[in-house]
Amino acid sequence: MDLRTPTTEKTSFPAFDIVSTYRTILASDPDLTMPVAAIEALVEAIANSTVNTVAETLDLLTYHTEILKSSIPNPISLSAGTDLFQRYLVTTLNRPASLNLGPEDDFRAIRNHLLSNGRLFVERAKASREKIASFGKHFIRDGATVLTNGGSRVVGALLRRAADSSTMRFKVIYVTSPEDCSDAQGGNKIVADLRAHNVPVATIPDSAVAYSLGKVDMVIVGAEGVVENGGIISRLGTYQMGLLAKSKGKPFYVVAESHKFVRLYPLSQFDLPIDQKVLDFKVAEDVKKPNAEKLTEDEGVADLNTFTTTHLRAADAVDFTPPDLISGIITESGVLTPSAVSEELIKIWF
Amino acid sequence: MSEPTGGETAPSPAPIVNDSTTTSGTPAQPETAAPPPAPPSKDAKTTEAAAGPTKLSAAELKKQKQAEKQARRAQAKSSGPPAPQKGPSNKEGAKSQKESKQSSKDDKSKSLPMRRRNSQPSVVTLKETKKESRKESKKDSRQPGLFFGHLYNQPRQHSIVGATKEVHPAILALGLQYSSYIVCGSTARMVAMLLAFKAVIDSYQTPVGTSLARHLTSHHLSPQIDYLRSCRPLSISMGNAIRWLKDIIIKIDPSTPEAEAKRDLISEIDDFIRDRVTAADKLIIDHAVKKIENGDVILTYASSSIVEKTLVHTHKAGIKFSVIVVDSKPLFEGKQLARKLAHHGIPVKYFLVTGATHAVKQANKVFLGAHAMMSNGRLYSRVGTAIISMLAHAQSLPVIVLCESVKFTERVALDSIVGNEVAPSEEVLSEGERQELLPLKPHLPAGLLTKLGESTDKAGVEKANSSGEVLKWIEASDNLQMLQVLYDVTPAEYINMVITEYGSLPPSSVPVVHRLSMDKQETRK
Repeated sequence: MDLRTPTTEKTSFPAFDIVSTYRTILASDPDLTMPVAAIEALVEAIANSTVNTVAETLDLLTYHTEILKSSIPNPISLSAGTDLFQRYLVTTLNRPASLNLGPEDDFRAIRNHLLSNGRLFVERAKASREKIASFGKHFIRDGATVLTNGGSRVVGALLRRAADSSTMRFKVIYVTSPEDCSDAQGGNKIVADLRAHNVPVATIPDSAVAYSLGKVDMVIVGAEGVVENGGIISRLGTYQMGLLAKSKGKPFYVVAESHKFVRLYPLSQFDLPIDQKVLDFKVAEDVKKPNAEKLTEDEGVADLNTFTTTHLRAADAVDFTPPDLISGIITESGVLTPSAVSEELIKIWF
Repeated sequence: MSEPTGGETAPSPAPIVNDSTTTSGTPAQPETAAPPPAPPSKDAKTTEAAAGPTKLSAAELKKQKQAEKQARRAQAKSSGPPAPQKGPSNKEGAKSQKESKQSSKDDKSKSLPMRRRNSQPSVVTLKETKKESRKESKKDSRQPGLFFGHLYNQPRQHSIVGATKEVHPAILALGLQYSSYIVCGSTARMVAMLLAFKAVIDSYQTPVGTSLARHLTSHHLSPQIDYLRSCRPLSISMGNAIRWLKDIIIKIDPSTPEAEAKRDLISEIDDFIRDRVTAADKLIIDHAVKKIENGDVILTYASSSIVEKTLVHTHKAGIKFSVIVVDSKPLFEGKQLARKLAHHGIPVKYFLVTGATHAVKQANKVFLGAHAMMSNGRLYSRVGTAIISMLAHAQSLPVIVLCESVKFTERVALDSIVGNEVAPSEEVLSEGERQELLPLKPHLPAGLLTKLGESTDKAGVEKANSSGEVLKWIEASDNLQMLQVLYDVTPAEYINMVITEYGSLPPSSVPVVHRLSMDKQETRK
């Protein structure tokens, strides 16, 4: 590292605002997931830069990745994308032959190839959601009742696809997010959409999951990230759904694109690389004087859509569902058991 | 260490009875070839013949005969010392009948490599015959080890006596260190073996008319390996390293000059140790350190070098945590670990395995070392590890195994019985414990005392309080025996994470990584 960095110090990078690029990309396309948006932003960054060596490209990438990760409150999902892209760059850049380019070709060709491939990746990632939906709809049987939660778009796509097929009648129990949660809107949209497709939907709060479980045939959830041991990181409340489903013997399926596979191995809820303020112990005195904090908190809610807060709000917290609660992970490359995830990750990383 | 004890046990009760009654010098083995020296022996023969067809198939009989023949040949070679003979005493017809049956059964289990670790040396050396005959005489009275009986077939050598002349001095020394647990631990044993092999290769000279690639493995390296195996069964990592070494030796171009080939081999060995152990350990420690946080209480079992390095490294990184070491018989390796960690200033608690439930309640993470990781994700490690992981799992503590990929094996283990290692009974009772048992002598059952009769009369005067005597009591008693296995198997569901140099994996990914590391080895060459 040290050998090649002297010429490219961090300050020498042009002032490309990766964070705002990322946010604009994310905001511009509601169908985009965080890892894909991150990859797109990084491609943009390379396109806007004047790098002309392999080492410089990698340095630029590391630099922007760091900025991006540090300025987003929950970078787990995002880091799946950036890591994947970095890995892809390292393998392709170190083996130019695989691009059908001789070593004598100039770097420009490699870079162009990279940029076009990066965009191709983004296209493919978008398409993968439909593919998952077509795999996953076979899991819903006629007359089934599906329990789901959160505003996961891929779950929405799957349910919609299942609703479109005229042969299937199924019901959905939707666990709604609290109003102040950032994916509450997405959830409402999916519910409205499903109802428009003639699917009966019941909405319940988190606390009614155990109550409703008797009527449920299967649980389908989305995920923010799929971790190395096959567990998932998802919206707060998913873990308890998993536990309850397991205790009642209901199958628990996860739908996630394979670009959400993260190289992360949490051992417990408190082993995640983010700082969540879910447990906030207080005594009477603390409750009396939260005014100062209250202000910033409100600001956070106000700026919700632009994500300016660096602290993760309690409502947007995530939890970790261990692999033994998961029956299957539906991805665009097939339906995997949790233990197969680590195999997939090993394939990517070695 | 135990060769002296071995010497002591030689005039143990059974052989003595034998000596006093054998009229002829030949072993009174119920075999067809030997002329029956006395009527009782004929008795034995007929009973054997009667029992034979019902019990043994023709092939088994043939094998048994072969084994007997070999043993006889070896004995003829060593006709000098009147070693304690195998074979039943022909004093009482009934007794000999029973015994001959049993010894034939033993023979069968010996000649059939049913559940043994693969390939015991088929050439019966002088030393082994002696050992076996001693073991047989012990076995005559009872089946050792209950369902662990097959494990007693593993030879156990505690001296360099009887080692073939090809065995290199470095290997001789190493073998002794193995058998006395001075070099202990799967990784340490493998590295020590490879270093000794370097010396072996260095002093090797290819005989005229053959090539190094053809000759070295089969004629020079195998006696060394056989000797090491006779000192203590090979560890999985050693097996992997040997397979790797044989592989690169085979691939040496026969036209390479000998000096160059030897140099290449030695540097390859160095590379292997560096890549698969030194560098791998570093990576594992880097991964593992991240899993320890301020305020953690780490529980570990016995002693693993990699766990020790991780804990020390974490401590040096300024993270405040404490350690609970759980330990157990027979090796008490945890004492060493606890001492070393305390020296570094880490707060340590030391429990015996009997207090494991309490230990687990105080801990919040479990770090374990490994002897091997099986392909079904199970952990093969020091006996007691399974208890700890199961207790930890019941308390939903994460169980983390640190293991270099060189310890991965493609074999699977379903239980701890089929593949295991037994410690000799003299290692189960420590010197101090034997001393404490000595005063109980008057309470021994009468039958046992009469059985011991002669030896106690003789030895009773000179060394009434010799601690070796306690072992003789146990050996002579019909319904008591010591069993100490050295390893057990932890099912995969009790393991949360395996940290290797390739990163952290669930135990189910062990075969994937094993395949991967084998492929890498292939492509490197």
